[in-house]
Amino acid sequence: MKHSTLARLIVACAVVAAAVTPVAAQGADPKAELARLKPKDFPTQPIEFTVVYPAGGGMDVAARLLAKYVEKWSGDRIIVNNRTGGAGMVGHAYLATQAKPDGYTVGALANLVWGDAMLRAQGRWAYTDLEPIAYVNSDALIWVGPTEGPYKGMSVKDIVQAAKDKPGTIRIATVPGSMWEYLVDQIEANSGAKFLRVPFQGGGAGITALVGGNVDVAQGFYSEFRGHLEAGKVRPLAVASAARMDFLKDMPTFNETFGGSDYLWQVIRYAIVPKGTPADRKAYLAAAVQIAMKDPELVAEYEKTGAYFDPKLAGSKDLAHDLGEYAEREREFYRKTGRLK
Amino acid sequence: MHELEGLMAGFGVILTAQNLYLCFLGSLIGTLVGVLPGVGPLAALALLLPVTFTLSPVGGMVMLASIFYGAMYGGSTTSILLNIPGEAASVVTCIDGHQMARQGRAGAALGIAAIGSFIAGTLGVIVMTFFAPLIAAAAIRFGPPENFALMVLGLVCTLFMISGSTVKGVLMVALGFLTAAVGIDVVNGHERFTFGSVNLSGGIELLAVVIGLFGVTEVLANVEEMVQSTVLAERIRGLWPTLADWRDSWRAMLRGSGLGFVLGLVPGGGPVTASFMSYAVERRISAHPERFGKGAIEGVAGPEAANNAAVAGSLIPVLSLGIPSNPVTALLLGALVIQGIQPGPLFVAQRPDLFWGIVASMYVGNVFLLMLNLPLVGLWAQLLRIPYRVLFPIVLLLSIVGTYSANKNVFDLWVMLGFGIAGYVLRKLDYDLAPFVIAFVLAPLLEQSLRQSLAMSPDGAVILIQRPVAALLLAVSAAIVVLMFRRTARIPGGDQ
Repeated sequence: MKHSTLARLIVACAVVAAAVTPVAAQGADPKAELARLKPKDFPTQPIEFTVVYPAGGGMDVAARLLAKYVEKWSGDRIIVNNRTGGAGMVGHAYLATQAKPDGYTVGALANLVWGDAMLRAQGRWAYTDLEPIAYVNSDALIWVGPTEGPYKGMSVKDIVQAAKDKPGTIRIATVPGSMWEYLVDQIEANSGAKFLRVPFQGGGAGITALVGGNVDVAQGFYSEFRGHLEAGKVRPLAVASAARMDFLKDMPTFNETFGGSDYLWQVIRYAIVPKGTPADRKAYLAAAVQIAMKDPELVAEYEKTGAYFDPKLAGSKDLAHDLGEYAEREREFYRKTGRLK
Repeated sequence: MHELEGLMAGFGVILTAQNLYLCFLGSLIGTLVGVLPGVGPLAALALLLPVTFTLSPVGGMVMLASIFYGAMYGGSTTSILLNIPGEAASVVTCIDGHQMARQGRAGAALGIAAIGSFIAGTLGVIVMTFFAPLIAAAAIRFGPPENFALMVLGLVCTLFMISGSTVKGVLMVALGFLTAAVGIDVVNGHERFTFGSVNLSGGIELLAVVIGLFGVTEVLANVEEMVQSTVLAERIRGLWPTLADWRDSWRAMLRGSGLGFVLGLVPGGGPVTASFMSYAVERRISAHPERFGKGAIEGVAGPEAANNAAVAGSLIPVLSLGIPSNPVTALLLGALVIQGIQPGPLFVAQRPDLFWGIVASMYVGNVFLLMLNLPLVGLWAQLLRIPYRVLFPIVLLLSIVGTYSANKNVFDLWVMLGFGIAGYVLRKLDYDLAPFVIAFVLAPLLEQSLRQSLAMSPDGAVILIQRPVAALLLAVSAAIVVLMFRRTARIPGGDQ
């Protein structure tokens, strides 16, 4: 067990390292390569990066950083546009059904689009209507616990055990209808524990409640609790990813703690174009985003926000296929739990 | 004094030509954004966010913050002059502000709004200077039960805002609640009243409702009356508040400052809630509540002070803890993250230059805004000379642009139009629109905090009286309700 984790970690690090090596080191001049791919008549106007969540949030920050570096490498003007509403639903539907597939619309998406497509789109559109052009980064869901009170010294195992011994006493912050809730579902189903679920509108609000002593466990992304962690107000319990995080090496994964392989809940951010975008424009946009993603400065900026790079996706030869695998695993989960018939 | 040293260092950071210029620019943009109906601080900040990437972190934050509080200054202008709120936090200013304008006292109303904003903004930043860490530590313990109790108190106060028929007022509150229920349920994620529409699944946009109910309704009402050009302009008397105005409004300003500051700290609170609650409180404690709705200057001074103080209040959790309490501060947080700065509990200690720089800039910014806004009073009053047939198409255009800019969703424009027509009909039937809006604003917070409280308590509703702060707030609410009934009983039909 221990060895395999370590081995996986080493492989992960190696792949990440390979992914972040500047293109220049591989021999080709990225700018020349991009110029070669550039269609004659494109772009003649600014390109819109559509973000379906409000300005200032995790996805927005990732998209704006990406836009900055795509501009730097391609010289094209990028405008980040927040089309919000319906917790992302309005923007997702816009990209899938209304946006012109002319290359001037690029969606900066998170994998939460899959849940929208499978559970809420009612067949009007599918996630396959949005064609992936480049992987951006990932953020894994992490459980954090208090540094005061009765649960301060407990590991994630102890806390789940306590929730089993005394069901309905430990308060956990969740976000209804999303992976925050699904992870708790999984833990409860597999362990027989029972938590008191306190609903919040987002991960950050739950972390605030943890620091204020209004819940006992919160779930969120590294960037959401990093400040409180450095101040000693919260401590990480476990992460819902395949391997441990580089920035929190002592934090176990749920899989190694509870002996499974399904505790995988992460935000995967990637760029798409609407289905039907001309192949040459799509190839050019894909190259522009991929080149920006190899800029060490951008990689460093993302790492500062706590994002990491999924080795499988960062090194993917067929991104649509690899993302599809993750998506279909999610569909399987919805079927198994009766959310999808 | 540790804080004074920090503040002095902050002034050292801010008193450079570049940063002063950015602070002034932000104040100017903020004032404009406030004046333009529809375009609010959120849309302006989102639009200008990319511009700040090229600035230093201090410069960028100073500019964004000054747009936020600058908008609170400008927001009252069209409320008073045209009965159309410049942004959501100035809705309540329409009620008495516009009545004052109709009586020829637009100058006094604009003046008191600017001065009230300055006093509240400055008081807010003084409290911020000395007590930010302390207040942040207390604010973070404020949990769902306390929030619920506070919202109940707000709702009880709203009942006093009802002018005219009580039954009609309560009906509007109920309608506000129902409208707010549209969208995704916060607890189990189910859709409510969406009729399968993607656009309704996120709920109805507050901005579209406010612009519709006040902006579009006002235009419709005036078009119908066919007001011939300069109706109000001839009757402008005195641009400045009189001594009597001061006597009437200084207490309201102080109360508004305190109330606004506290409401800015609370998650989900902020300038909008603060202005409404301040108006309700002023009306509640006034010796002459019958003057409200007929041009009471307290009804302008209180809310305009409250929305500015709320800005200072809402900056405390975001700067000293990294916790945003409303969408605008969430955007400021994002701006910091993009600059590579992680706000959190250690922010003040790690980046004193930034924290104290922003605090110092707020002193400077409020002075800029007062200097900008007072001379403008005369100029704005001239706006009333513009014939309505020219003015109202412009207002309508700005309303459409402003509403669209928030989400870039055309559906919001239909919502705006629908509420505009509904507001017109309701006004004809003598229904008061303000209770509708306040109920619409409070309902999501009220529902969420109640259901969170029940979810986090193993013993059900007992949690609401187990926690001392929540219990105290609920007791005050109960006392107000009892007083209200006794007053109504003493004077038969007295609340009619």
